[in-house]
Amino acid sequence: MIGRALSADFLKIRGKGIWFLIFIAPIGLVAMQALNFGLRYEFMVARANGNLWMSIIKNIFLFVPMALFMGSTLVSSMLAGVEHQLSSWKQLLALPISRTTVFISKFLVCVFLLAISCLVLSLGALLLGLCLGISTPVPWAELLRLGFFPFLGSLPVLALQLYLSLTFKNQALPVTLGLAMAICSLFTGQLADLMPLNWPSLAFAAPNYIVYLSAGVVLGLLILAVALVHFNRKDVN
Amino acid sequence: MSEYVIKTNGLTKSYRGRNAVSDLNLEIKKGEIYGFLGPNGAGKTTTIRMLLGLIRPTKGTVQILGKNLKSDKINILRRVGSLVEYPSYYGHLTAVENLEAIRRILDVPKSRIDEVLEIVSLTKESKRAVKGYSLGMKQRLGIASALLGSPELLILDEPTNGLDPSGIHEIRELIKQMPREHGITVLVSSHLLGEVEQMAGTVGIIRDGRMVFQDTISNLRQKAAGGIDIRVSEAESALWLAKDAGITGQAQQNVLHVEGLDDKQVASLVKRLVDNGHLIYRVEEKNKSLEDIFMEVIGEVKSL
Repeated sequence: MIGRALSADFLKIRGKGIWFLIFIAPIGLVAMQALNFGLRYEFMVARANGNLWMSIIKNIFLFVPMALFMGSTLVSSMLAGVEHQLSSWKQLLALPISRTTVFISKFLVCVFLLAISCLVLSLGALLLGLCLGISTPVPWAELLRLGFFPFLGSLPVLALQLYLSLTFKNQALPVTLGLAMAICSLFTGQLADLMPLNWPSLAFAAPNYIVYLSAGVVLGLLILAVALVHFNRKDVN
Repeated sequence: MSEYVIKTNGLTKSYRGRNAVSDLNLEIKKGEIYGFLGPNGAGKTTTIRMLLGLIRPTKGTVQILGKNLKSDKINILRRVGSLVEYPSYYGHLTAVENLEAIRRILDVPKSRIDEVLEIVSLTKESKRAVKGYSLGMKQRLGIASALLGSPELLILDEPTNGLDPSGIHEIRELIKQMPREHGITVLVSSHLLGEVEQMAGTVGIIRDGRMVFQDTISNLRQKAAGGIDIRVSEAESALWLAKDAGITGQAQQNVLHVEGLDDKQVASLVKRLVDNGHLIYRVEEKNKSLEDIFMEVIGEVKSL
């Protein structure tokens, strides 16, 4: 059942610009660093203390949490928009499919799309490193961590954004909240590590990163569960 | 199995204490076209949304195809096709893609897409993005989506809303062929009686969330049986002549109005009038139109 729902959802996002967003965001982040390293290569090499790979990864990482918040917000909103736009909910939910399946399918589509973004980011970082001709061996594990650990830490935000986007027809509220979170996340680093907004960066950078990684996944699933209960009960107009 | 395809029992939906639908008992028999009538805001759409499990009833139960909607929702919905108000579609996709998105969930063979497009005559336009369709075409696509799962019951909410006369005609013909050619029971709602009376066998009329009439269309027509208007030169004295013959009626200006007469009585009344020197200009049968009855039943006349 979930497979059928997923294939229908992937069909519906065709030609909506979602795929474009998924690829352009990570490419943009990498391009930014390509510019950074390209314009002042000597300076960056001098600062890197011989580990140019880590320097690339850390420079890209600075922007990853914010990009994830924005990505979660926009992908959720665009995905929900497909159904909201012409009130397709009444048609979709009158089909022989449980609301739980509909909701989980939307969530999995978001996760899948963002995971592709993350993968492109890792590959982009790899490509940048290779283009700069770094001679030290490729740190595969670090590259993949760069792509996926912050993503797992940001799952609570994705769950919340998807829930809000699916619930409110007017997307101004979820999008505003999402962008506000993205901007705030730049300044909340000093605040308590308990703040979920800090988890994407902690899940990559903290010594005990595994705590934040799991916290992200657990809280994400928790929010998803609450959202599901509500989505199952609400009236569709 | 009950003989009813849809049977609701005391169906009620209230929003903040106000009843949008109260104590509704719908009974729809297999293989018929049921016209669900009522003015705007009477609770038709709310009822239909409850039948489809889109909103939860505050009270009451819904039985569809012999099963309880609450406990068997997915199984029931598999056998029901629906179109609720204006059509839902994904504008950036073509008709085929729109149907494919639904087909993937219904899990019916791909060939059904061509079949339903054929039924609603959209085969030629099926490769175009739906956002460029006319309203009538979108509505037909909506019906195609509803038919995709080969339903036993079709629920159509105001399917002709906003269409031009030829679009209305097309949709009406489409609906009429459903029971005949596909054995599908149809529930069609509308706020226009004239539209429903041409296809429905049974009508339910709802007003302020309550069912005020539920019977066959021919019984509704019987209520419409009217009288005879006779335009004469002297209505008042003609009325006296009629009364002498034991016929009651009313006289208004030049018109003598009598009710409940058979052909013979009409003939003898006319003869009597002529014999007494009245000039008769016209003898007209005056049926109350169904529209009049509809207005009477829903009581709009008073509130206007």
